[in-house]
Amino acid sequence: MTAIRIENLTRTFGAVRAVDDISLDIRHGELFTLLGPSGCGKTTLLRMIAGFVDVESGSICFDGRRIDALPAHRRDTGMVFQNYAIFPNHTVAENVAYGLRARKVPAAEIASRVDKALERVRLAGYGPRSPHQLSGGQLQRVAIARALVIEPAVLLFDEPLSNLDAQLRTEMRIEVRQLQQALGLTAIYVTHDQEEALAISDRIAVLRRGKIEQVDTPERIYRMPQTAFVAEFLGSTNMVPGIAGAFDGRNTPVAAAGTEFTVRGEVAAPGAPVLLSVRPEALRLRDGSGGSLVHARLALREFLGPVQRLHATLPDGTQIRISALGGQALDLLPGAPLSLAYDPAQITAYPAP
Amino acid sequence: MKRFATIVTLAALVLLAVFLLYPLALVLDASFRIDGTGGLTLGNYAAIVKSRYYLGSIGNSLFCAALATAFACAIGIPLAFCLARIDIPGRALLLTLASLPLVLPSFVSAYALVLLFGHAGVVTTTLRGIGIPIGSIYGVPGIVIVFTLTLYPYVVMPVLAGFQAVDASMEEAARNLGGSRPYVIRTVLLPIVMPAILAGGLLVFIEALENFGVPAVLAEDRPFLAVDIFKLFAGESDANPAAAGALSVLLIACTAIALLVQRHYLGKRRFSTNARSAPAKLPLTPGLRLTATIVSWGIVIASLLPFTAVLMISLLRFRGPVLTWEFGLGNYATLLSGSYRPLLNTLTLASIAAVATMLIGAPIGYVVARHRSRLSGLLDFVGMVPFAVSGTILAIGLIIAFNSGPLILTGGWLILVIAYVVRKLPFAIRSSSAIVHQLDPSLEEASINLGVTPSKTFATLTVPLMASGLVGGLVLVWITAASELSATIVLYASGWVTTTVVMYHAIEGTGAGLAAAAAAVLILVTAIPLLLINRRINKQESTVI
Repeated sequence: MTAIRIENLTRTFGAVRAVDDISLDIRHGELFTLLGPSGCGKTTLLRMIAGFVDVESGSICFDGRRIDALPAHRRDTGMVFQNYAIFPNHTVAENVAYGLRARKVPAAEIASRVDKALERVRLAGYGPRSPHQLSGGQLQRVAIARALVIEPAVLLFDEPLSNLDAQLRTEMRIEVRQLQQALGLTAIYVTHDQEEALAISDRIAVLRRGKIEQVDTPERIYRMPQTAFVAEFLGSTNMVPGIAGAFDGRNTPVAAAGTEFTVRGEVAAPGAPVLLSVRPEALRLRDGSGGSLVHARLALREFLGPVQRLHATLPDGTQIRISALGGQALDLLPGAPLSLAYDPAQITAYPAP
Repeated sequence: MKRFATIVTLAALVLLAVFLLYPLALVLDASFRIDGTGGLTLGNYAAIVKSRYYLGSIGNSLFCAALATAFACAIGIPLAFCLARIDIPGRALLLTLASLPLVLPSFVSAYALVLLFGHAGVVTTTLRGIGIPIGSIYGVPGIVIVFTLTLYPYVVMPVLAGFQAVDASMEEAARNLGGSRPYVIRTVLLPIVMPAILAGGLLVFIEALENFGVPAVLAEDRPFLAVDIFKLFAGESDANPAAAGALSVLLIACTAIALLVQRHYLGKRRFSTNARSAPAKLPLTPGLRLTATIVSWGIVIASLLPFTAVLMISLLRFRGPVLTWEFGLGNYATLLSGSYRPLLNTLTLASIAAVATMLIGAPIGYVVARHRSRLSGLLDFVGMVPFAVSGTILAIGLIIAFNSGPLILTGGWLILVIAYVVRKLPFAIRSSSAIVHQLDPSLEEASINLGVTPSKTFATLTVPLMASGLVGGLVLVWITAASELSATIVLYASGWVTTTVVMYHAIEGTGAGLAAAAAAVLILVTAIPLLLINRRINKQESTVI
């Protein structure tokens, strides 16, 4: 169990600030996810913690002890690599034992710990096998066992599931989460997959261009994104530019896309340009009246099984997406008028960039 | 990790500075001094420009190299295409045989030409006997033939890889858009393999320009750069180290320009298409397929014929320079009667040099591939310099540098090993960095992350992973060191005569039988390890995959 404190961490590559003055507090036993698009600096930050990228300025502490000047092999982190990095010239058991040997653990203890670790990742009996006899998912489990067995201060995951197929990925992320919780290890998890991040994290930091946009629990990140970028990156939201009207004490009307949206709270000074985030599931198809409404026209309907996605055109031609349940019988042809009801509290407004 | 890289880089740079750059600087220096040691002068260069002999020497060398390059491309490109795209019987064997001329000593091939078509050659005398006159193969014709037949694999190998790297969809797309097959070859395939052709062609040009053994055997009295440099430096009567220096500088300038042209051109163009599916074999009529088969096998057999001829002739009895049709092991008896020392020397020196080259080259290749920095970039560049320097010139530089002063090496075995190591270092660096490029860097990171120090990770994880490739490199260095002539002939001392030196002197003198036996021994010494390693590499590859 280790608490990690990162203060004012910076790293530049040429003119690019890959990690730009990042400060973070990661708690004991937390699964903390670094989420962001490629090039946002999440992997650089993880590799700085592991010791593979030099720290330019700032500090990293494990339980109050500075580790950023230590060489990588003395940081006591267990890293799970994107491409597994299983040593092809060693057996599965030798791979798992690798870190224990480096720590000069007695041979008898190594054998029992390796067996236990392989059992934990449901690979009992696979020890004598050669890595090339294993599937991608099994190799991934070996990589996890190898990182766990040394009981590291911190577990580091560098997009560990991105090379697996979709179904295996959802299975493995549950296993990763359960192992991490069972062992009570602090873990930092890098991914660009927002669903994966939401599914397994205690907290998420959303990164963009080397800076942190928001640090929060998955629920709050999704429901209360603090910036337009976070709103857009988590879930496919509709971003509609508009002009704020006068606050009526409860809601603010925003003129946008040739119609008007009602947004909870005072979002901006009257006349100020704003950006509205309208989640597809926040809009409901209604034939009757009640609640706030906008009018649109159906452009295209995608039936996806459990859900269906409607593409609609707002009065000024702006395209938006609406999610509806797959079971809902919709007898609509392109061009049909739609009345869309919504809760003003579910629409968030940001100052226009 | 960084410290390890810095230490390796600095150590390698120091080594190269002492044993490569410093000797070359001395050669350059000598070329600007009166008699090689006196006051500064441009006179040595002026003398070359004024001399018809030296201008002819430069002209002959460039002309032969250019012609050999053109011919090597002319047979190498079609052969590569046939190997890549036509279902030729015995393709795998053909491919192995086609790479043999690269490691077999080219001056042996040249000597075979002399034995067959020379003044007293088997074919010459036979034809003359039945009244058919035959032109002389000495000079340009023979030299170009030998260069073409021994260097064309330099074109075949990269171009073959190029043809195989063209994704099938590329050609299908061109066909789908309405291109006929010849049109597609001209507009899609050839442009894609053009960098490979250029790379191979320039390699042929450089090797031909630098080669000492072939013109030494076949030039007779015609001037050739590599031979003249040797004679001017080591000749008994007309030694002129300053002129040798000036000619050396001109030769290095030629090869360096060729190398820079290649780098410049290749640096700008990248045509790799990340082939997923190799293009299908061409559907050919039986007649065309037969023609392709005959041509492909013909080229390869022709290039190996001189070597087989030498092997056979070495078993025949010579009466003076005249060959008889009687079988006998007399030639080998002559070769070994003096002493076993030359053969033993060859084996010992090649072994030490091969191990040393890989021990030095592997860490350099690793650092160059893994740790990009300004310093490692410099190392990458300096490490390639030996490509542009012929063995003779390096040897001359080593003699000037280590004949006196704090470090005296001349007359011993170490200077030979140093010359071999420096000459073969680019190959060791290239081959090991190619292996490292195929190793996932996260393997090493995983090891370090698990608590193993970077230097121990390199020794216990990276080196074993590189092993199969390193063994292949080791054997190739061993072979080329065992058959090295151009530096050896300058550097050898009485106790350290090698088989190549014995052969060279036998050719110079009248020991035709002795030369044939020495040549045969060289062929065996180089071919046997190659065949052994070929099986081993195949086995390793199948277990890795």
